[in-house]
Amino acid sequence: MPPLKSLQHQFPSIDSNLLHFCASHGIFSVEDFLVHDLYMLVALAERQTSSKGLKEGIAQVLTFLNNQHFPWMNGVELLESTQHNKHFLLTGFDGIDTLLCGGLCEGNLTELAGPSSSGKTQFCLHAAAHVAYTYMCSVLYLDTSNSFSSKRISYRVNRLLASPNKGEKGRSLEGIMSSILSHSVFDIFSMFETLHQLELSLSSQLFQAEIQNSKLRLLIVDSISSLITPILGGKGPQGHSLMLNVGFILKKLAIDYNLAVLVTNHTVVGEGGNSKPALGESWKSVPHTRLLLSRDQMSNICNMSILKHTSMACGQTASFRLDG
Amino acid sequence: MESAREWIKCDESAKSLMDRVSMERPSLLLPPPLHRAPLCAGNVVEIVGPSPSAKSYILLQAAINCILPKEWNGIHYGGLERLVMYFDLDCRFDVSYLSQSLKRRIVRAQGPDSHSLVEQDTHLDEVLFLACLKRFLYIRCYNSLEFLAALKTIRPQLQTESEGHGIGVHFLMFDSISAYYWIDRAYKPLSSAISNRKPFSLQSITEAVVQELRQLLQFHPMLVLATKPALLGLEFSACHITRKQSSSPSATGMLPLSRGAERFLYREYMPSAWQVILFLVDIA
Repeated sequence: MPPLKSLQHQFPSIDSNLLHFCASHGIFSVEDFLVHDLYMLVALAERQTSSKGLKEGIAQVLTFLNNQHFPWMNGVELLESTQHNKHFLLTGFDGIDTLLCGGLCEGNLTELAGPSSSGKTQFCLHAAAHVAYTYMCSVLYLDTSNSFSSKRISYRVNRLLASPNKGEKGRSLEGIMSSILSHSVFDIFSMFETLHQLELSLSSQLFQAEIQNSKLRLLIVDSISSLITPILGGKGPQGHSLMLNVGFILKKLAIDYNLAVLVTNHTVVGEGGNSKPALGESWKSVPHTRLLLSRDQMSNICNMSILKHTSMACGQTASFRLDG
Repeated sequence: MESAREWIKCDESAKSLMDRVSMERPSLLLPPPLHRAPLCAGNVVEIVGPSPSAKSYILLQAAINCILPKEWNGIHYGGLERLVMYFDLDCRFDVSYLSQSLKRRIVRAQGPDSHSLVEQDTHLDEVLFLACLKRFLYIRCYNSLEFLAALKTIRPQLQTESEGHGIGVHFLMFDSISAYYWIDRAYKPLSSAISNRKPFSLQSITEAVVQELRQLLQFHPMLVLATKPALLGLEFSACHITRKQSSSPSATGMLPLSRGAERFLYREYMPSAWQVILFLVDIA
């Protein structure tokens, strides 16, 4: 947030007199203003000779603050905007789409946790192919562990193109493949950089122009835990702070730009020998939906269960088959 | 002598005090499990529990209870018909779930025959549904700066909304109050030569929130409900409530919401400023 001085041009009541008064109480920026007791400040301003001007100035800073947060909405407006902007994206696995009442939801952050080789990456690749094919939108795949495989995606897309039920013209493998963008990210700081760039391009709509006018609707981070695990631990709060910052940026992208966000997480052994998703207690407040994936080693059948959902009961399961 | 007599003379009788208090700070009927605590406007209640333990669900049920009318077209709904202000600090609020639960409540009150979800839409009183949903006011914040900015400018908003609806705000909800805990903790104070400049830190942010809430509650008595995930004590998945009342700062305690649940190892991690506004009362 800006220093108070920079508000001078916009608000005439914020004059040098007010700046001087605020500086004498240790207020130089809007942040200082936010953590200050304003009632006390107004009371102190009343004792000054130019109390009227000072109070007007304080009122104008409050007007500025009023534009710094989201507007209040009532339930009807909120419901309408959600119904209008947030749709479900089918993943292509029938059982999973039924389990999730329609697939991955735009505006939501979905976490997929599971032990190694439980089919997390397979699920992500499959979902990327299916979403890009079905909705003719683009998909961004942030790859943190070199797991992205264009071969597997093209296999999926070819199978979708070969399916006889849809007589669409002009859908080529090349067109669909070029709407799936992969980007390698190997540490948390380049992750911030990437997400920041993404937000910039989404807000200026450069992104749409770049990839043939197809809207970005799905963002996949495979896996988020390999970025975060190395920075956790130690005594300071920095690791957790970075982790939750990434969480908030992902949720902001999801909500503001109507993206469905899918991240994967590995599992660790918890108390009693049971495996549980990594990243600990504080991460639990980040995803809207947590899914746990497990796979029978003998077959290709994967089992998915709901660990947490904003609107559904936990514990429901569904299974799907991996092929190819 | 005369002035002393004047001074001794009582201001009001217990009955008129009672009437005045129950007018200004009515006790609130809350849906279970909050009904076990005698809460009234002006209290600040914190709902603590590990994730997931239905903390947000409890908030949502209380909100629905508040926005439903007591009676409508001769049907009893048992609500309070007041406004709710909801701060979504986790950014995980699901409005479609609110609308579903609200529809379910309305249909259930209308008659026992129409329970199935399929029939719901045909039986639903659309006018009532929209009127209820309009009483739910929502804001989303992504960080402490937005949260503070929203809190500092809430009073004119509160004023216009209650004038527009002709009814007051009964509930102020925060889900969850510790959403930015780790992010704020990592703020390093700037080394500044000015001694009276407050550092921007978890401590000062929490103090500002508490001080703002205090001022707000003085002029607009509301019931404040805040959720907070428990970071420790994972062994017990029971949900607990800590009830705090500003009149008795010495007593402390917790109220387990599910019977027979053991007290879990609870550790407060929010700064003391937040605990000061929340005086604990032993109900368990």
